[in-house]
Formats: sequence, C-alpha cells, structure tokens
Amino acid sequence: MEKKHEYYDVVIIGGGAAGLTSAIYCGRARLKTLLIEKSLLGGLATYTNEIANYPGFPDGITGLDLMKLFEKQAKNFGVDIKLTDVKSVQLRGEDKTVETFRVIYHAKSVILASGGKPRLTKAKNEENFLYDKGISFCATCDAAYYTDKTVMVIGSGDAAIEEGMFLTKFAKKVIVSVIHDVGIMDANKIAQEQALKNPKMQFLWNTVVDSFEGEERLNKVILKNVKTNELIDVTVDGCFLFIGYEPNTEILKEQIKLTKQGYIITNEKMETNIEGVFAAGDVRDKFLKQVSTAVGDGAIAGVGAEKYIAESELFQNEIMQKEKIGLIYLWSAIDEKCRNLLVHVEKVEKEFKDEIKVNKIDVYKNAGLAARLNMQLDVPAIVYTKNGNIIKVLNDISYENICRDLKIINE
Amino acid sequence: MAELRLDCLGEACPVPLLKTQKKMEGMKVGDILVVEIDHSCAMKNVPEWARKEGHNVEIEEVDDGQWEIYIEKTK
Repeated sequence: MEKKHEYYDVVIIGGGAAGLTSAIYCGRARLKTLLIEKSLLGGLATYTNEIANYPGFPDGITGLDLMKLFEKQAKNFGVDIKLTDVKSVQLRGEDKTVETFRVIYHAKSVILASGGKPRLTKAKNEENFLYDKGISFCATCDAAYYTDKTVMVIGSGDAAIEEGMFLTKFAKKVIVSVIHDVGIMDANKIAQEQALKNPKMQFLWNTVVDSFEGEERLNKVILKNVKTNELIDVTVDGCFLFIGYEPNTEILKEQIKLTKQGYIITNEKMETNIEGVFAAGDVRDKFLKQVSTAVGDGAIAGVGAEKYIAESELFQNEIMQKEKIGLIYLWSAIDEKCRNLLVHVEKVEKEFKDEIKVNKIDVYKNAGLAARLNMQLDVPAIVYTKNGNIIKVLNDISYENICRDLKIINE
Repeated sequence: MAELRLDCLGEACPVPLLKTQKKMEGMKVGDILVVEIDHSCAMKNVPEWARKEGHNVEIEEVDDGQWEIYIEKTK
C-alpha cells in the first residue's frame, strides 16, 4: 500500500497533558497542527482518579475529566488529532517526517511529548499475562472486571495506593506487595492512612514478585521476601503493576540525545539537540512530573515551535533572499561600537538601495536567527550573500570597507 | 489488497471486539478492515487487541463520538 503524504507546520507526538497543551498553543498561533496519540487522549493523567493539586480546580477533578477539557480546548483551536502509533521519525533538516502505518506526515517542527509506559517487574512469565491475561496497569479501566474477586497490587507509591483503594470498591480483597519494611510506603500520608484503615486491603511487606503463574490467565503470583528469600504463593484473579514508568523514546534514540534512562535531554526552552525539535512532559529528563509541569513544558514547546517556524521563514525569504546582494549586519543594541557602526551601515543601505538588501540582526534578541548563519561570529560583523549563499564576512566595518567589498562582489 | 468495512455502530462491548476478531480470521495478510464504532469502550479494547496481535492500527474520529478503526492484517 502506497503511503499518503500530508503536510503540517507542527506535528506533536503524544496526547497527554504536555502534548495537548502544545497543541493548544500551536493551534492558537494559527499553525497547521497535528497531534498523534497511540491509544487514548489524556495520557497518564487519565489513570489517576483524583487530581487535587492542579490549580483552578479547588474541589478536585478526575484525571479523565480534566484531560477531556484539554482535548476540547485543543479541538477548539482547530488541531487535527490522529489516534495511531508512530512507526518512525526523521527529525533532522528542515523537512522532518513522522511516519504512521498509513501516512507520512511532513512537519517544519516536531514536539515530542510521548510520555512513558508502565515499568514491568521483569519477573518470570510476566509477558505471558500482560493486559487482558491478568496483569493490568489501569484500575479505572479494569476494576469492574474484578468485582468480588481477589487482586494484587505491586508498588507503594501514590498510584499504587490510590488505585488500590479504588479497586476495593469492586474487588473483595486487594493484596498490596510492598518492597519496604512494615509500615513504609512511598505514597502521600493521607493515602497511606486511608489505605491502612481500609478493611479490604492487606499488605505484604518486604516482598517483590518472583514469578507469575497460571494457565490461560494469571491465577497465582509468587512473591519473594527480600529479607528471608522465602517464596510466598498468593492466589489471585489479577495483578496491577504500579512501579513507575519508562520513557517512550525507543524510536528516537538514534537521533535525539537521551539520558542513560532514556529520557530526552532539553534546555529550559524545551529544545532538544536537533533544531526545530522540542520535547515536553514526562518524556523529558526533569525534576517533577505532574500535570502542572507538563502544561508548562507544553506551553514553552508550543511557543518555541511557533518561533522556530517564523524564524525559518524569515531566514529563508528575507535574510537569504536571492534577488539582490545581501548585507547582513550582526550587531547588539547594548554594545556601543555596534550602535556607532549602525550609521555606516544605514548610509550604505540608502546609497545602494537598488542593488543590495540590508538585514540587521540583533544577536541578543535573535540568537536563533544568528545561529542559522552557521558561523561563530563576534559582533559587530557583516555577512555578504549572493544568490542566497554566504560569500564573505567583514569584521573591520567602515563605510569605505563596505563600499570596497560591494564593488568586488559586484564584479 | 482489499479494504473491508465492519459496521458496529450502536453496539456495546464486547460485541465490536468479537465481530472484529471473527472478521479478521477470514482476511488475508495485507487486507485492511475498517471498523466503525460509536462506543468509546470499543475504542480501547479493539485497538488494544489488534496491536497485541501485531496488526497495524489507526483510529480516526470521523464525527463527534464516532470513530473508524483501521486494522491492517499483518500475519
């Protein structure tokens, strides 16, 4: 099957809080924007029952409801949304491509907001029982299936304890395997207290999963006591893993700089090592992973993409124009020498206005634009172009020297 | 390579998934099945199943609350 080609200004990979926020900013900036999500919109936030610390919702809101609002807002700004897997990306150069199984999307800028996926225990037989065979990652999705049954929860963080409590509304018993000593959990104090009081919850301390057992479906988890190495058979109908996340960066690793753990390295402007490619949200190497910080990342990446695209167009159409000889004055408004030389440049501009095109780039305000000239230049400097190519750099700027250069270039 | 359609509009889970599984059995590798659904639960379990089987999946929202799931049979 021949793949279709479609063209966008921005393609955003990932439809969680970060991706949707980027989409809102790009859409509002009137960029032709596509958001690609591999499963359902809303991302990790939809796996959290109650979000109590996202500003603006003093009475709390469910992750699902909050993300529905994000989605609606992005759609209001005309963002296209595709629900499919990204198969591969090509991020270098001006024409970046993002490929799905039916379409090759071309983009001027790409925002990576692919988040993470649940970490597995790596215990024996785990892969045989994933998802609908008994090992689950989403209580909200699968709780009803376990009505009046016994389930196990692995982990003791916020997600494990809160989702565990949610499961008690359906299951008759929720057994929590915690790696720490008796009474120690990673979850917030309120959740811990509620969980310990919950009669349907039982805790097995100092344990990790040794193996998963069953025929077609999981029916037994064998735990190992990390202190005594004793194996404990626990008969269950299902098991929920809440032991953290791993970044979704598999398809990026040849192109994008990642940390050892696979998170994308960005600067504070969400720029990656490739020009025009930004990263936002949980996929980034960062200090705090919350909806509120994902939103901040998403906004910065969205505005970054917009600025990058505007700059690209300006660079191509104005600065590297081909009609006339180009004179690019690189200067800094805060430098006195630069300001004084501006008079010379403007005098030349007036005199030769039919033959040359003058662009002034304040390197302080437009560092990105200056960087595109691909040169390490000390200001003040003049760069000459002809037919859109750089042909000479002048550092010793004066009216006479510019006139001399222009004469040579014209010949 | 054929493109087949499966109308599951108005049908709740697990009917769309069961119908999809049955329909896919009779298809050849490379054929594409377009499942039309309007129940959001099917948007989760049909693609999840198809991906787990190793097929290519793409979902398109054709209308508010109505989707088409494209599944390419890969084996």
